[in-house]
Amino acid sequence: MVGPQYDLLANPLGAVRLTFERAMAAGIAAGPYSASDGKDWGAVPLFQDFLFDHSRLSQVPILNHETVKWIGANTLVRYRGMVQDMLGNEFYVGAHKVGSVWKTNKFSDHSQFPMDSSCESRVWERRLLYCVPVPGLNSWAEPTWDGLQAHRPVDFTSPQRDKRPRMDIEEEASGDGSSEHSPSLKKMREDGHPSTSSQCQDSMTVESCHQPTMLADTERDSLPCLVKIYDSPESDLQLNNVFEFIGVLTFDSDIPADKNARDDFSSSLCDEELVRLPPSKVPRLHCIIHRKLELPDFLCRSPVIEPNHHFVKHIREALLKHLTTIFGNDGVVAHFVLLHLLSKVHARLDNMAVGKFSLNLTGLSKESVSVFGSQLSIALKNLLPLTNFIPLTVGYLNRASLAPKKDYQLNRLIPGVLQLAEGSHLIIDETQLEAGTLNSVGVENASLLKDLMEFQKVKYDFQYYSMEMAADIKLLILSEGKSNILPADIIVPFQPSSVSSLEVVDAESLDAWRWYLANVRSLEHTIQPEMQKVVENDLVAARQTDRTLGSQEFSRWLTMARLISASFGETSLSLEHWQMAKELERLRKERLG
Amino acid sequence: MASDSSPAPTNGPSSPDDQASSPIGNTYSSPTASGRNSRRRRRSITPSATPPAHSRFAASSESTPIPNTNPSRSGSTARRGRHPPVSTPSSDGGPVSSEAGGDYMDEGSVPTFVWGTNISVEDVKGAIQMFLRHFREDDSSSASAVFEEGKYMKAVHKVLEVEGESLDVDAHDVFGYDSDLYTKMVRYPLEVLAIFDIVLMDIVSVINPLFDKHVRVRIFNLRTSTTMRNLNPSDIEKMISLKGMIIRCSSIIPEIREAVFRCLVCGYYSEPVAVDRGRITEPTTCLKAECMAKNSMTLVHNRCRFLDKQIVRLQETPDEIPEGGTPHTVSLLMHDKLVDTVRPGDRVEVTGIYRAMSVRVGPTQRTVKSIFKTYIDCLHVRKVDKSRMMTEDPMEVDAGSRKTEEDAPFDESKIEELKELSKQPDIYDRLTRSLAPNIWELDDVKRGLLCQLFGGNAVNLPSGANFRGDINILLVGDPGTSKSQLLQYIHKLSPRGIYTSGRGSSAVGLTAYVSKDPETGETVLESGALVLSDKGICCIDEFDKMSENARSMLHEVMEQQTVSVAKAGIIASLNARTSVLACANPIGSRYNPRLSVIDNIHLPPTLLSRFDLIYLILDKPDEQTDRHLAKHIVALHFENPESAVHDVLDLATLTAYISYARKYIHPKLSDEAAEELTRGYVEMRRRGNFPGSSKKVITATPRQIESLIRLSEALARIRFSEWVEKPDVVEAFRLLEVAMQQSATDHSTGTIDMDLITTGVSASERMRRENLVTATRNIIMEKMQLQGPSMRLLELLEELKKQSPGNEVHLHDLRTAVASLATEGFVVVHGDSVKRV
Repeated sequence: MVGPQYDLLANPLGAVRLTFERAMAAGIAAGPYSASDGKDWGAVPLFQDFLFDHSRLSQVPILNHETVKWIGANTLVRYRGMVQDMLGNEFYVGAHKVGSVWKTNKFSDHSQFPMDSSCESRVWERRLLYCVPVPGLNSWAEPTWDGLQAHRPVDFTSPQRDKRPRMDIEEEASGDGSSEHSPSLKKMREDGHPSTSSQCQDSMTVESCHQPTMLADTERDSLPCLVKIYDSPESDLQLNNVFEFIGVLTFDSDIPADKNARDDFSSSLCDEELVRLPPSKVPRLHCIIHRKLELPDFLCRSPVIEPNHHFVKHIREALLKHLTTIFGNDGVVAHFVLLHLLSKVHARLDNMAVGKFSLNLTGLSKESVSVFGSQLSIALKNLLPLTNFIPLTVGYLNRASLAPKKDYQLNRLIPGVLQLAEGSHLIIDETQLEAGTLNSVGVENASLLKDLMEFQKVKYDFQYYSMEMAADIKLLILSEGKSNILPADIIVPFQPSSVSSLEVVDAESLDAWRWYLANVRSLEHTIQPEMQKVVENDLVAARQTDRTLGSQEFSRWLTMARLISASFGETSLSLEHWQMAKELERLRKERLG
Repeated sequence: MASDSSPAPTNGPSSPDDQASSPIGNTYSSPTASGRNSRRRRRSITPSATPPAHSRFAASSESTPIPNTNPSRSGSTARRGRHPPVSTPSSDGGPVSSEAGGDYMDEGSVPTFVWGTNISVEDVKGAIQMFLRHFREDDSSSASAVFEEGKYMKAVHKVLEVEGESLDVDAHDVFGYDSDLYTKMVRYPLEVLAIFDIVLMDIVSVINPLFDKHVRVRIFNLRTSTTMRNLNPSDIEKMISLKGMIIRCSSIIPEIREAVFRCLVCGYYSEPVAVDRGRITEPTTCLKAECMAKNSMTLVHNRCRFLDKQIVRLQETPDEIPEGGTPHTVSLLMHDKLVDTVRPGDRVEVTGIYRAMSVRVGPTQRTVKSIFKTYIDCLHVRKVDKSRMMTEDPMEVDAGSRKTEEDAPFDESKIEELKELSKQPDIYDRLTRSLAPNIWELDDVKRGLLCQLFGGNAVNLPSGANFRGDINILLVGDPGTSKSQLLQYIHKLSPRGIYTSGRGSSAVGLTAYVSKDPETGETVLESGALVLSDKGICCIDEFDKMSENARSMLHEVMEQQTVSVAKAGIIASLNARTSVLACANPIGSRYNPRLSVIDNIHLPPTLLSRFDLIYLILDKPDEQTDRHLAKHIVALHFENPESAVHDVLDLATLTAYISYARKYIHPKLSDEAAEELTRGYVEMRRRGNFPGSSKKVITATPRQIESLIRLSEALARIRFSEWVEKPDVVEAFRLLEVAMQQSATDHSTGTIDMDLITTGVSASERMRRENLVTATRNIIMEKMQLQGPSMRLLELLEELKKQSPGNEVHLHDLRTAVASLATEGFVVVHGDSVKRV
């Protein structure tokens, strides 16, 4: 193990290169020819071991708009983001020969040694993903880093940084990077590689980050990142998935810095997307390890709870009470909202998304929305990691770009409001909607929302054709009457009996609720044969008495039954919960009149 | 283009030194490092025991027993590292200049090899010469064909005649003639194509020594085509072919090939300076011995030679994108004639050489970045059919000219598979089962939909009359009978399917719309759903909710297959050769079996009669079906639904099957089938004649016979049969009858009555009404005087009931009867009072 020799945090590339050389020397790779595809030679397990087995993960700095200002290049960082666009593959010189020794360029932009055009080398391949911070991520769900407190003050006062001159391109390229570092970085590095490649270009970004001009699609305080993926199958990383990427941070430019000097040919062949993603604004991350994040992974402090039924039931009661308070003592609505929050698409068949449970709360006027709606959205923000809100007006529909759209000039997928991560929650406030004319954009947007409600799919506009992307978004519609524009699975008239101010929730129960909502929904669920019989008989009987009942209603009942059962932490449908589902449905029907 | 690597003959083709010395900055250079080491080839003299290459047979035999050669790429690299390139006599001798390959044998038995490979230049040259001179299209050539010129010799002559600049060579031909040459060409395109060009120029100069244009070879139709996703470093510098869609074209870039400089001091013109390493160095001093002025040379633009260049971006086609991915793109470099041959939105198949270019750190530095930009140097571009499911219009009779050059989108193995499938005896049932497998029952409806997907043959008579081949279907039924799901499913499956809801679509949305550009005032035709689904299926949900306007448009679409737009001074007739699949809900939420279809869905009979098949999907209270439904839904929620499907074709196969049939199968009526059709039709008509009664019920109309023909053609297509057989006709009759029985059965008599569809009134009903009119007339004659006092309708009703106690007479029936009397001028009606005149 080379582990102890290297500070994997401050000098990950040193470790990468050393393992490569050792692998080569040991003949494991048996010459570059067998390793010509650049498959891992043992560097990744080293990091895996270091981060997870020794649980050093929390020591890895998190890359965000704050920390990017002072995190050093070529250090190990963590970045959480959603794959917003894929920029294809990139070929690079993976290994080349210096003298008689093979060196690798994996996980870096530059060669650490000057590369002569005549030297032997191998071409490897990596994937480029454009990632953005997860849309709708609530502040409490952001990851924490142990070192945050310790490092920030030091680096901001570091006088050296601001004075550093811009690096000469020559110097940068020649890999003469072992020059000065900020003191903190020096301290962190126990043993630098003799000639680590350019580690200090970050100094450039300190200034440039403060420039007010930002990309149109990047907000001031969100940091997109160009992640370079090595050695993982394409199916692993899909659009809109959320990942935590751990890898080497670089600010290095893929394109010549001097624009005027580039000849026409290379500039027009150059992927323009890269031109528009200056490294100063979009840092590069050479991913060593990535892991997919599901909703439970957003909880920082997961309470140590044995998922026993009693405890789950206890949390459920408390949460239901909390929801009931928010909804002005309307218990039925609280029940439905709870089920709604636990829903997820668990299967797809043809066009059907089984398990979706969109909810339409009716009986809300403009006035009452300001009371209950805002309370609700605050409460949900506290409970769910990913929440979004759309105030639906004619103007909004006519103007907003809901669907992501491919811009062939930029060769980028321009994000739309509905490009959301799996498991996001979306409130659509329809009470503001007045009569008005929809233009073509509006009609398109309305049908997008409708498709999302009905099939949990979003059509991405690729100009010459459109592509449907599966989504799993929980939709809650607040409206005055039943919304026909947005046909929800369940319509519940909202009947509050009191208005209560927001109660203060202690952190402990909040944590428990978050844990509950994130985890319970992913429980497996089955049905016993005898229970199946009961349900079937009930359905047949119901249909015999009421011919208007169809597969949609039955589907809804079963979804409700499943969710009720899950809300108790059960994995198998019981008669009791089936009865509860029917009772809840009866109460709802009663309200609908 | 191989232009870069096939420099003018003066340099010697792909002269290795040229390659070797190519600098980093050379835009044409292969990826500096890797390309260099892994792919750079030089001709080196190898003391091999290879027999001298006399013929292509020698060439192919040579490929195996080469000494020192490790055919693998990496092997060659390894060797390269250790052995510096052996001296290459080729560079001075110009081995492949204009001599024939045979000359080399004279030099001794030392063949020249492409560096780092076992490819002998002479062998390749010989093979190419053989190919170009002797390849003939049909290998089963008769004796006479031997004396004819080969396919490509003819083509060369043609090129010379039109003074063309390129010769298209089908790679399949190369493979068929000499598979070894093909392999070499694909693996080492730069070198082999250069030799190809040389050989071609030799041939050209033999035919016409004065021909001065440079004719190039364009290879197309490679045996294997790759996908953009599968491109990887090992493809670099190989010949590849891939399909995609053009998304962006750059403007045309003139690229300098030769520059001429002039001295500002003495006016001396330099010799043309060729492009070297992607750039031209300006002479620092005047070359004239007497002048020698420093920094005096200036470029003379109009004496330089330029070449058109264009950079085009290709994006992979939607069907190649895996789930959860976004499309990949790749840059194409087009030269010369290829410039401006494609436009954004075109689907093309590109043949070219995959290349990678290193990125320099700075303009003046030799150091390169570790990243490559990749692009495809285009050799040939072929446009592919634009439609979404590759449905070349099966109905287009006059498409012959286009068809020849259009693609064969199915590869042979797939076709075999489909044909195998079509031979199965139960293919019809199997396809029916595969159609919307999670909607159970409704088998006959599914069969009808299947026929619609396959479609009949359209006939365009020279006289201008044409008969549509599209089958239109209407589904009427109770809510909750999965009509919409069927529609959605068909929409997904069908070529160019358009799904629209009657409620939301205006006439404009469904058809076409003329809009005016607010800025320029230009009028633009915007196609609506029906035009967009030309040659496809237009699925219209909630047909009954559609506005009158939109519906009236449908009349034209469904019979004439065109949409006429007359707005803003433009009268346009747009093709809308669409099958319409519509579904409608009955007026009173549930279907009333006592009323006719027309009364139930309130659609004008004229429109209704244009549907070939009308299915009633009624929800019969049946515990068995309910149980089935309940089971299905429970299973859907608690089991893994994906695993539940069995013995059905997957969607992709189904789509391929249908598009293949639509494209290639054009069944004709066999005599037997025609006879059966006539017999069956007469039979159907006869059923309306009840013996001993003058009552005439129309049980079939000429429209039905057209429908029957279409249906039987579709059924033959399902079997991939070129002939419509008798069983097809029988099944077509059955399908029609099933559909008509449901929708056109006169419930009072139990017979099929087409009048129900065509007029909305059954014959028996009409009879009843006529009787009523007669009775009313009699009563009025009896009870009322001419110009006498008027009578109230209710009184009349009383009288009628008195006269015929057995007959149930309703007030509104009477009202219609009186109204019809009024039109005869027999009575005058004022509100509720009737007055005889």
